[in-house]
Amino acid sequence: MRPLSRAVSGPTVKSGGGDDETTRQVERWSSGVLGIFGSIIRAPASWSAAVLRRFRFFPRFPKKAARNRRTPKPSDPVRPSSFQHYIPPFRRVLVMLVFDQLKKNDPQLRAVTLVVLGGLGILLAGLWWVQVVSAREYQESLETQSFRSVRIPAVRGSILDCNHKVLAENRPTYNVSLYLEELRKPFDAAYFRELTRAHADAAKRLAEREHELGRRLNKQERKQFILDTIQKNALRETARSEVASNVIIQISQRLQQPLTLDPTNFERHYQTRLALPYPIIEDLDPTNIARFEEQSTSPLGVDLEVQSSRVYPYQTTAAHLLGSLRRDDSSAYGEEAFFSYRLPDYRGALGIEYGFDRELRGTAGAKSVLVNNVGYRQTETVWSPAEPGHNVVLTIDLRIQQVAENALRNVQGPTTRGAVVVMDVRTGDVLAMASSPTLNPNLFVHPKGVSKEEWQRINELQAEKNRATQENYAPGSIFKTVVGLAALEAGLNPQEIYEVQPNPELPNKGAIFVGRRKIRDTAPPGPYDFRRALMRSSNSYFITNGLRLGPERIIRLGHRFHLGERFGLPLRQETPGAFPKEIGPGWTDGNTANLSIGQDPVLVTPLQVAVLISAIANGGKVLWPRLVDRVESRDPSTDEQPVIFSSGRVHDELGVSQRSLKILQEAMLADTEDPEGTGKHATVPGLRICGKTGTAQIQDERNVKTGQTTWFASFAPYENPRWAVVIMVEDGASGGDTCSPVARPIYTALLERDRPRPAKGETMAKAN
Amino acid sequence: MFDAHLNEHQGRLDKLQLVALCGLMLLGGVFVYSATMVSGTAAVAAWYHQSWFRQIIWYVLGAGAATGLCFMDYRTISRWAFVVYWVAILLLIAVLIPGIGTTHGWGARRWIDLAFFQFQPSEFAKLGFILAQAHFLSRPAEELRSPAIFARSLGLMILPFLLIMKEPDLGSALVLLPTGLMMLYVAGTPGRYLVRLASGVGIVGALFLADVLFLPAKWHVLKLEDYQQRRLLVYFDRELPLPAGASKAERERLRKQRFDDSHNVRQALISVGSGGLTGKGWRQGTQNALGYLPRAVAHNDFIFSVIAEEKGFAGSVLVLTLYGTVLFTGIRIAGQARDRLGRLVAVGVVTLLFSHVFINIGMNIRMMPVTGVPLPLLSYGGSSVLGSLIAMGLLQNVYIYRKAY
Repeated sequence: MRPLSRAVSGPTVKSGGGDDETTRQVERWSSGVLGIFGSIIRAPASWSAAVLRRFRFFPRFPKKAARNRRTPKPSDPVRPSSFQHYIPPFRRVLVMLVFDQLKKNDPQLRAVTLVVLGGLGILLAGLWWVQVVSAREYQESLETQSFRSVRIPAVRGSILDCNHKVLAENRPTYNVSLYLEELRKPFDAAYFRELTRAHADAAKRLAEREHELGRRLNKQERKQFILDTIQKNALRETARSEVASNVIIQISQRLQQPLTLDPTNFERHYQTRLALPYPIIEDLDPTNIARFEEQSTSPLGVDLEVQSSRVYPYQTTAAHLLGSLRRDDSSAYGEEAFFSYRLPDYRGALGIEYGFDRELRGTAGAKSVLVNNVGYRQTETVWSPAEPGHNVVLTIDLRIQQVAENALRNVQGPTTRGAVVVMDVRTGDVLAMASSPTLNPNLFVHPKGVSKEEWQRINELQAEKNRATQENYAPGSIFKTVVGLAALEAGLNPQEIYEVQPNPELPNKGAIFVGRRKIRDTAPPGPYDFRRALMRSSNSYFITNGLRLGPERIIRLGHRFHLGERFGLPLRQETPGAFPKEIGPGWTDGNTANLSIGQDPVLVTPLQVAVLISAIANGGKVLWPRLVDRVESRDPSTDEQPVIFSSGRVHDELGVSQRSLKILQEAMLADTEDPEGTGKHATVPGLRICGKTGTAQIQDERNVKTGQTTWFASFAPYENPRWAVVIMVEDGASGGDTCSPVARPIYTALLERDRPRPAKGETMAKAN
Repeated sequence: MFDAHLNEHQGRLDKLQLVALCGLMLLGGVFVYSATMVSGTAAVAAWYHQSWFRQIIWYVLGAGAATGLCFMDYRTISRWAFVVYWVAILLLIAVLIPGIGTTHGWGARRWIDLAFFQFQPSEFAKLGFILAQAHFLSRPAEELRSPAIFARSLGLMILPFLLIMKEPDLGSALVLLPTGLMMLYVAGTPGRYLVRLASGVGIVGALFLADVLFLPAKWHVLKLEDYQQRRLLVYFDRELPLPAGASKAERERLRKQRFDDSHNVRQALISVGSGGLTGKGWRQGTQNALGYLPRAVAHNDFIFSVIAEEKGFAGSVLVLTLYGTVLFTGIRIAGQARDRLGRLVAVGVVTLLFSHVFINIGMNIRMMPVTGVPLPLLSYGGSSVLGSLIAMGLLQNVYIYRKAY
C-alpha cells in the first residue's frame, strides 16, 4: 500500500494508461463499486488529488512501512483486501486519499468508507446525468415554463394613389393599458384585506351560531365556517377587480370621461393573457393623450401603449377598391407558427388589401416575455423585429376618384346604386373606380367594430359590393356599338336608310316584330342611317341588321372583347359577366334580336365596358385593365427595386378596320353633340366626347319588368382618344338623363388634371 | 499544516476537515444570500433581518458551541450521554403537545417556539441518540453477542424514531436507521443480528411501501399524513387512487393536485438540470428568482438546487468534494480514535451527516422522495446548523483526545 502512495507522485502516474494487466488484476473488493463509478469519479478525483497533494493537505506516510510490503508477483492469486497489485492511477489516488488513512485491519471502517464512497458516487452519477447528459432537456423545460413568446405584427404597408397620396396607411394609436405585474402587490394587499374581512365575518357567524346553540361546535361543524380554496380564489378575483377598477376610476377622472371596468373581460385577460398589458381605452384621441401625459405621474401600473392601426384617411373614398381588413392574428405561411400570445393583427379580406396582402403585411416579429411562476411579466426581449410591409401604388388618381364618387353620389344621393370606371384608353390604367353606395373601411378595424345600424345599412343596400366589377349587368344599348361594329365589318353601308315602323299602340314610337313578338323602340318611326340609329339608339335598326348579320359574327366579335371572362383582378371582387360561347341548338331569331340590343344572354361589368370602349377608342386594342402600378419599399432610401406592373398590356386585337371604327366613333360623337343625341348632357366645353347611352330592362322569369340598368359609356377626346368614362346606375331614369350628366365633372377633372402638366399624362410617363 | 507533516500526532485539530467545513459554511452563506435576496420584499428588510446574516450568526454560534465542546474530553461528555438522550426524548414528547410545539402552519408539529428561535428538538435528538448509542455499544465486544444488549440498543434507536415519526418528520426519523445500523455494525455486533435486522427493516419497509402505494386508504396499517403519502406516490410515479365513481371534476382536481404535488420535485430537477456544466452564475438563477422553485423551501431544503442551477455541475462536484472531505476525514478520525467510544461517536456522526447529504441531494435530483431533510451547513436553519456544527465539534473532540499523551 505504501509504495503506491509514493508512486502517485512518481512518473507512473503521468504515464497513466498502459494497463494491459489491469483486466486481470482488478482487486475484488473495489471492482464492484469503483468499476461502476470509476469513470465518473476519474476527473474530479484526480483533480482534487493533485490539488490536495500540491498543498500537502495529506500527511505522507513514513516510507519505512513500504519495506514491509510484499512485492507483487504475477502468479499471486488475487486476494481480498490486498493492494499490492497494479491499480490504475485514479484508483490509486482514491485508495491513497481515502483508504490509506485507515489502519490495515479495520474492515468495519473500510466498509463504512465503501458505503460513503458508493453513496457519493451514486449522487455524482445522478448529477452527471441530470446536469450534463440531460441538461438541454431541462433547459428547454425551463424555457417553456418561464418564457412566453409574443407575435408582433409588422407595420402594414400603405396604399397610395398614382401621385403617392396616401389612401391607406398605418398610424400609431395610443392605448391606455394596465401593466398587471406592477399591480401584483396591490392585488395581494387587497386580497389580504378581503381575507381578513372574510375571516372576521366567518368568526362572527361562528360565534352567533354557537350562541344560538348554546354550545361549542365540534370540528365537523366548524368546517363550514372555514374558507375553502374556491372561496379564497373568489376573494382574490374580487380583490383584483377592485384594485383595477380603482385605477380605472383615477384614469377616468384624469381623462374626464366615464370609464368602467368590465370584470368578466378583465378576469379573462388575467387568466389567459397575464403577461400582456390589459387595455383600458383603445385609440386615444390627441386631446386625451395630452390630458394623460400632462400629469407627470401615472397611477400605478398604467401607461400609454403604442400600437399601429390601419387608417383610411379619405374615409369612404375608393373604399371598395381598397377593400377591408379582418382581424386575424394567425401566422402567415413561412412564419413562426407557435406563439403563446399574439398581438392584434389584421389580414386583407377584400380589395387591394386582400389581393396584395402578402406584400402589404410584411413579416411579423417576435418577442419573448420572461414570466415568473404565477405568470406575471418580468422582462421582455425582442428576438426578431417585425419587418414592415411594402407600399402598393395604385393607378388610381385620388382627385378623379373623388370627383367620380361625388358625381355618382349626386345622382340619387348616398343610396345611389351605381358605378363609375375611368380608364386610360391607351394603357388600360384605371384612373378611378367608384361604386355606390359606399362604406367606411375604417370601421372594420375600429376597436368598437361596425355598429348594428351600419351593418343593417350595408346589408340592405349591398354596399359591400364593388358594383364596378362584382355585379353582372345587362349592357342594353351600349352593346349596339359591338353589333354595329360587326355589321360594318360585314359590309353594312352606314348611309343605307332603314325605315323604322311605328308602334301600333304608340304611334310616335317605333317597334319591330321578330316572329310574333313585338319589340318596342324608344326611337320614333322614320328613316335611319347608321349614325342616327346609334345616336337615337334604335332597336329596330340594330335588330334588323343583327338578324341580317347573323349571331355568329356578333358573338365572334364579342369574344375578341373577351366578354364573359374575368380579368383576374387582385380584388376578390370580380364576376365574369356572361356571353354566349357559341350558337347552341335552339337558338332563335328572338335570341339574336335580344343579343342585338344587349339584352338577355349578355351580361357585363362596368369595368368590362370600360375595356370595350377603350378598344373602340384606341383603334382596336383590347387591353388588360391595370389597377396597381408598383409595389415598392416603404423606405425611400432603400436600394430595393420596386416591382412595376407593366401598363398597356394588350389582351387581344379586335381585327376590325379603322374605317369601321371611325364610323362608329363618329356616330358616338354625334350622341353627345347632335341636338338629337341621347348623351348630350355630357358635353364639356373644349372636349369632344364620344358616347353611347343605354337602358337595359331587367325582367323576372315571367317577363315582368323589375328594374332597369342605365349606362353611359364614353371616351374623349374624339380627335385623340385618351380616357374612357363608363357610368352605370341601377334603376336610373335613362342612360341619357341619369348617367351622361355624371360624365361632365369627370371629364372636367380629367382636363384639369392635364393642365399644369405637359400633354403627356402621368400614367404614360409611368408606363415608360 | 507542515507541523502535521513533520509529526502528524502533534496536530491538535483535523485541519483538512476544518477547511472543508469552512468551505461549506462559506457556500452556505453565499447561496442562502442568493436564494433569499430575490424578491422585492425580502431585499428591502434591514441587513440584520436577512436570512444570510442570520445564517452567519448561526454559524458563529455553532462554531462557538463546537469549540466549547472541544475543551471537554468526549469521554467526560459521554458520561452525560443518557442524560442528553433522555432530555432529548422529553423534548420530543414535549413538542408533540400542542401549546409547546408549534406547527408553523406546515401541518407537522416539529418546533418549539423560543421567541428568538424556532427550536427543532429532532436535530438534537439525533446527537443525543449517537452519544447514547455510542456509550451503550462501547462495552466489550463479547457482551454485544447477547440478544438482550442487542435488543436494548435497538430500543435506544426505536424510541426517538417513533417519536419523530409522530411529529411527523419522516426524513429525520429515517436518518436514525442507517446511523444506528452503522454504529451497531462498527461496534462489532454479530453479523447474523445485523442481517436479520436489516432484512427485517427491509421487509417491513417494503410492505409498508406496498401498502401505501397499492392498497386503498382504509387498509393502511400505518397512517401516513396525506402529504407524505402523496410525496411517496409522486416519487414512485403513481397516481393517487381514485375513489370509485369519481366525478369528472373530482378526477380533474386530483390530477391538478398531483401536478401540484410533483411541482417541487419537477422544479428542483429543472433547476439542477438547467444549470448545465458550469451554471448560470451566482444570483443569475431564474428558477429561484422567478419563484418556480418555491421561495419557502429554496433556501433550506432545496438550497442544493440553487447552487446547482447557479454553479452547474462544477458547483455540484465542489459541494460533493467538500462533503466527501468531511466524511472521509471523519472516518479517518474514527480510525484513529483512542477507544471504541470515540470510534463509535465518529462513525455515528459520519453516517448521520452522510445520510443527510444523500437524502437531500438525492431528493433534489429525484433519486429520493421529498422529505424535509436539510443539507447540513448549507441549508438555512438554526437547529440544523447548530446540530451539524456540534456534531462536527464531537468529531474534532474525538480527534483531539485520540491519544492520551
